[in-house]
Amino acid sequence: MHLTRDEERVLEGEEGWAKAKALEVIVKVGEALGAERLIPIRHAHISGASYMTIGDAGLKFLKRLAEGGVRFSVTATVNPVSYDVEEPYSLPRTRIDSRVVAAQTEILRALERMGAILTLTCTPYYTEIPKSLGLGRGSHVAWGESSAVAYGNSVLGIWSNREGGPLALMAGIVGKTYFYGVHDPLWRKPRIAYRILTNRALDEAEAGVLGELVVGMHRSEHPPLVDAPFMGDASLKEFSAAIGSAGSLPMAYIPGITPEDPDGMLEEEVEVEYREIARRMEELQPPGRPDIIYVGCPHSSIEELRRLYRALSKLGRKPSADIVVSLSRSLFARALKEGLVERLKGFGASFVRDSCLIVSPFSKHNRGVVVATNSYKAYFYLSRKGVRVGIARVEDLPLLAL
Amino acid sequence: MARVYISRPLVRASGEVEGELVVFDSLSFYGEVDAERGVARGDVSIAGRVVAIRRSRGSTVGSYVIFALKENGVAPKAILMEKAEPIVITGCVLASIPLYDGLPGEFFDPTLQGARVRISPDGRIEVLDSN
Repeated sequence: MHLTRDEERVLEGEEGWAKAKALEVIVKVGEALGAERLIPIRHAHISGASYMTIGDAGLKFLKRLAEGGVRFSVTATVNPVSYDVEEPYSLPRTRIDSRVVAAQTEILRALERMGAILTLTCTPYYTEIPKSLGLGRGSHVAWGESSAVAYGNSVLGIWSNREGGPLALMAGIVGKTYFYGVHDPLWRKPRIAYRILTNRALDEAEAGVLGELVVGMHRSEHPPLVDAPFMGDASLKEFSAAIGSAGSLPMAYIPGITPEDPDGMLEEEVEVEYREIARRMEELQPPGRPDIIYVGCPHSSIEELRRLYRALSKLGRKPSADIVVSLSRSLFARALKEGLVERLKGFGASFVRDSCLIVSPFSKHNRGVVVATNSYKAYFYLSRKGVRVGIARVEDLPLLAL
Repeated sequence: MARVYISRPLVRASGEVEGELVVFDSLSFYGEVDAERGVARGDVSIAGRVVAIRRSRGSTVGSYVIFALKENGVAPKAILMEKAEPIVITGCVLASIPLYDGLPGEFFDPTLQGARVRISPDGRIEVLDSN
C-alpha cells in the first residue's frame, strides 16, 4: 500500500503507540483486500459496544486503547449496549446482574474517554449526526453496524464498507480507512439485476425476507440491483438489516431510491416471483401465540411507532403479549414530544433505549419464549439464541396476540 | 495422493500449520460462535482446528468474536475461505490467526469434514486424508 509521509510518521509511533497500532491494523486489512491507499473519512460509527457481544476480551481491548490516550480524530458515534443506561432494569423478562453493569460501564467510560458521542443506537441515520456533519451523497465514512452500512449505501448514498467493529473504531482514531469496495464508484455499479415480479408494495417483514432471498442467490462481488416496490422507509431499513445479517452485502442498488447512476455494467437479469417471498413468509410465521411483540430492530423509526399505535388503537385493547419497543435516545425524545410514548404505554408497551433484545442479556433468560416481530434481523439472531421467533408487519403483530 | 490447493495468504502463518478440518458453507461469528468455549452452532468445536468457511455473514461484531476466541485460548489454528470479507480479516489481523482465501467451492464440500490438512505459510494447502 502506498502511504503518505504523514501516514508513515503515525505508523512509526510519532503520535503514540495506540494510534500507530490503529493505523497498522487498517493498513494490514487494506493490504489483504488489495487496497492501494487510504482515504479520509468524515464519521465513524462504532459497533461492538455491548458487553454481551464483545465480552471480557473486547472490554480489555477497548480499555487498553483508551489508556493509551488516543482520541477519535473524527466524530464517532456508538452502537447499542447491554441495557438502557438510564433505566437498566427496563427490559422485560431480563435480569441484568451487577457484573454486567460494572463491565458495561467500563466499556462506556473507555469509549467516552476516547471522545465518542454515546448515541447508543444502531440507526445513526435517525439521529442529528449525519445532518450536523453534512453527510450526503458520496461521503466516505467507516460504519461498523451492518444494517446501517447497507442503509447508508443503498438509501442515503453515504459510503461505508462493512467495517468490523474494531476496524471502525481504529478508522475513527486515525480518521482514515482503506480505499476498497464501496468507496470505489466502479465497484458500486451492479452487474446482476433481480426483478421482483409484483406490483404489490412489500411491507417491512416481506422486505426482510426478500433480503434473505437475494443474499442466497447473489454471487457477484458487486452489489445486486434489486428492483422491487418497497412500501416505505421501514421496508428499506428491514431489507438493509436482512442483507447485512443473512449475508455480507454492504449495499444493494435500488432503482428510484439509491441516489446514483447504476448504468453501464449490468450483465445478467434474474426474475424473482412474489410467491417465493410468500412461501418464506409462511415458514416464518410465529410458532404459536407470541409472548412478546417486538418492534425496533434496527432501532424503531417514528413511522413504525405511529403504525404500531394505529394498529393497537384499531384493536382497542391491550394484546395478551408484552409489547417491547427498542429505539434510540433521540427518537424516544421525539416520540415523547409527539405523545406517542404515553399513548403506547397506555397499551402496555415498554420502551428500551440504548439497547435491544439482541445485544442485551434478554435471550439468556428467554429460551423457548415466542417473539413476534416485524424484523427479519431480529428473527435471524434471536432464533440462533434459542428464542422462537416469527415475523409479520407491524399492523399484524397485535392481531397475533389476541 | 494428497490433493493440493493454492490459496491466497491474507494473514500469513509463521510456519506450517497442520490440523483437522471443520467445514461450514456459511457462518456468522456473532450469533453462531461461542467465544468462551470455542464452539460453533451449539456443538461443533473449532478450537485448535482448521476452520473452512465458504462465506461468512452477519454482524460486524464478528471481528471481536474472533479476537475473543484467541484471548480465551480456543482459537482455530487457521481459517480458510472462498472469499474473505473485512469483518473476518480484521478479527484475524487482531488475533494473529492465519487466514487464507481464494479456495474453490469444492473445498467446502461436507465430505472434507474431519480431513487432515497441512497449510504452508505461502498458501499451499494439502488435504492429507479424508473420510
